[in-house]
Amino acid sequence: MARFVAVTPSQQNNQLSFSPLASSLSDFSGAKLQCSQIQFKRKQWQAKSGSFYVSASSNKKILIMGGTRFIGVFLSRLLVKEGHQVTLFTRGKAPVTQQLPGESDSDYADFSSKILHLKGDRQDFEFVKSSLSAQGFDVVYDINGREAVEVEPILDALPNLEQFIYCSSAGVYLKSDLLPHAEVDAVDPKSRHKGKLETESLLQSRGVNWTSIRPVYIYGPLNYNPVEEWFFHRLKAGRPIPIPSSGIQITQLGHVKDLARAFVHVLGNDKASKEIFNIAGDKYVTFDGLARACAKAGGFPEPELIHYNPKDYDFGKKKAFPFRDQHFFASVEKSKSVLGFENEFDLVEGLTDSYNLDFGRGTYRKEADFSTDDIILGKTLVSV
Amino acid sequence: MATLSSSSASLLFSASSSNLFPLSHSSTSSRLSFSSSLHSSSASLFSASSPTFLAYPSSSSRLSSISASAAEKKKVLIVNTNSGGHAVIGFYFAKELLGSGHSVTILTVGEESSDKMKKPPFNRFSEIVSAGGSTVWGNPADVGSIVGGEVFDVVLDNNGKDLETVRPVIDWAKSSGAKQFLFISSAGIYKTTDEPPHVEGDTVKADAGHVAVEKYLEESFSNWASFRPQYMIGSGNNKDCEEWFFDRIVRDRPVPIPGSGLQLTNITHVRDLSSMLTLAVEKPEAARNSIFNCVSNRAVTLDGMAKLCAKAAGRPVNIVHYDPKAVGVDAKKAFPFRNMHFYAEPRAAQTKLGWSSTTYLPEDLKERFEEYVKIGRDKKTIQFELDDKILEALKVPVPV
Repeated sequence: MARFVAVTPSQQNNQLSFSPLASSLSDFSGAKLQCSQIQFKRKQWQAKSGSFYVSASSNKKILIMGGTRFIGVFLSRLLVKEGHQVTLFTRGKAPVTQQLPGESDSDYADFSSKILHLKGDRQDFEFVKSSLSAQGFDVVYDINGREAVEVEPILDALPNLEQFIYCSSAGVYLKSDLLPHAEVDAVDPKSRHKGKLETESLLQSRGVNWTSIRPVYIYGPLNYNPVEEWFFHRLKAGRPIPIPSSGIQITQLGHVKDLARAFVHVLGNDKASKEIFNIAGDKYVTFDGLARACAKAGGFPEPELIHYNPKDYDFGKKKAFPFRDQHFFASVEKSKSVLGFENEFDLVEGLTDSYNLDFGRGTYRKEADFSTDDIILGKTLVSV
Repeated sequence: MATLSSSSASLLFSASSSNLFPLSHSSTSSRLSFSSSLHSSSASLFSASSPTFLAYPSSSSRLSSISASAAEKKKVLIVNTNSGGHAVIGFYFAKELLGSGHSVTILTVGEESSDKMKKPPFNRFSEIVSAGGSTVWGNPADVGSIVGGEVFDVVLDNNGKDLETVRPVIDWAKSSGAKQFLFISSAGIYKTTDEPPHVEGDTVKADAGHVAVEKYLEESFSNWASFRPQYMIGSGNNKDCEEWFFDRIVRDRPVPIPGSGLQLTNITHVRDLSSMLTLAVEKPEAARNSIFNCVSNRAVTLDGMAKLCAKAAGRPVNIVHYDPKAVGVDAKKAFPFRNMHFYAEPRAAQTKLGWSSTTYLPEDLKERFEEYVKIGRDKKTIQFELDDKILEALKVPVPV
């Protein structure tokens, strides 16, 4: 059974608190880790893991690289609620905190009062090294890193780091006719996500206790990538939805809140040590199916879908569709069987959450741009 | 997750490389070492990947053979169809059970002298007999008298597609005291979905014959399990699968595939189905009252299957897509696979039985092609009437 140990501010330091119940868990970088507690469903992972989990929590000094935009916004809240001391490393371009849609004033006030900010540019490697070394952190979550060179100064600055948790990407997988992608599969050293691969390799080579998470397409309220938003704009405008080729291409979405929970789930978890996990929804979805799911989520009537051959068009630099025109999905079986991690959202529930808290309230990141739609629809109508 | 309950199993693992130990999830940078003990990897696109997520496939089947001798020997009756894609399942299952020390009787529908028995796998039933199994023939409705009042621990019906056919077998099994009933159903009963894959528990077509059987089992049998397979490859198969592609590839004919070619399907080596069934027999409590998608853990696109067959044959492939309606052919007759996503995952077997898939098409198809050539099928004269009709409509040239 989990018990929450109340920690006073004076105890909130770099030091780990060793509970008398501490188990002989495997050591990470010479320091014993105790697992964090998870407020949401915990039903399986304690039983399945077979290893002994300490019931008392211990607060960690946690650094998040990034954290003010999407994943980090939700992750930082979970970590603060767990009692950890959380610092966000950002340039300060976006506000350090913003009240989430649906978040009560008191929750927001509590979070804002506890979250810390380290202002800097992570491309300034000297500054990263010196500022991190000066502060010392137990755990680093790297949510916005793209290249291996960006991670080196962090590792250099924190030789006693207990865990480095990296947000990688399922985009590293080599395209295949055999699917789903699994963590053991071949990766593509030429993909546009090769920086993520190089970072994973760096982590493996440095002997730090690392965990890498590979999400697929992330969605949810505050998404800055127009994934669901792309569909919602068209549904709201009552426009047909242009989908490339057959529409049976299979993709996969993962809710940002489930992803944040997964990031918390691997914290101090020996089952996650030096492991890679795909994190995304339990089920996949066809392009056509996703259009229908978005309609359901927003209470729109079933949309008209127009299929077109993308080779017939030149859209210049504009993206006519928010997904890769291919099958792209990954198995999350490893996260279930090894970590006992379970998603809370299925696709329609998750899209509904996103709609109700974001687009449905009139907020979105990108203005609607139907220019590529009009090119497609214009040509389709002409050729009929 | 494979559980190592017997100490003899851990002895097995300690003798071999640590990579085989299912619970030690070593770093993924060792993926090359994973695959090297599983496949003879060539430097192909797929070679670096092992399709198993957890335990090594060989380790789980070795584990099950150890536990058979340590645990109970079972008396198993297989009621087997006399034709069609599922026929081969009973053949592999019988041999695996016998190899694990269980006792097996296989009751094939119809008569031993029937022409159907000249085709595989029936023409290889001597392998079952020499391994110690019994082979009998008859009408499943008369199962009790055919087996001469013998009592079995486990009954597998790998024959019926509707309640009328399977009910007499279920009723007899129950009254004769069989403890476990296994049924080969079909993944074809799943309702089409926008959100693949088909997962155990998903909605099925209420009017499907197999569904009626599953429902009846649920109501009437204390320990039952239903297995929903898709397409199979493997020596002894009664129905063409990969051969359809080989036929065209070795004759340098275009391969006509309906639709986009992106349709995903499961093509599983029958040894995987057999190992899942065997695990259910050896772990009856884990399998109790469960549905299992009886498929490998990877799906393949139709185009992908054509390409893999070509690669296995060491030849180029010319895939041609067509719209069956526009061309005027019945896709069901022209092409051996469903013209839609038909994609399930074996999640229940992995979770409940600790089962792992071993199918790896890039390697398995090589072995299949070797047999294809060995039996001389590459030299056989074949008519390609429907192909020609499609290609004519598309104005695709065919080599003479």
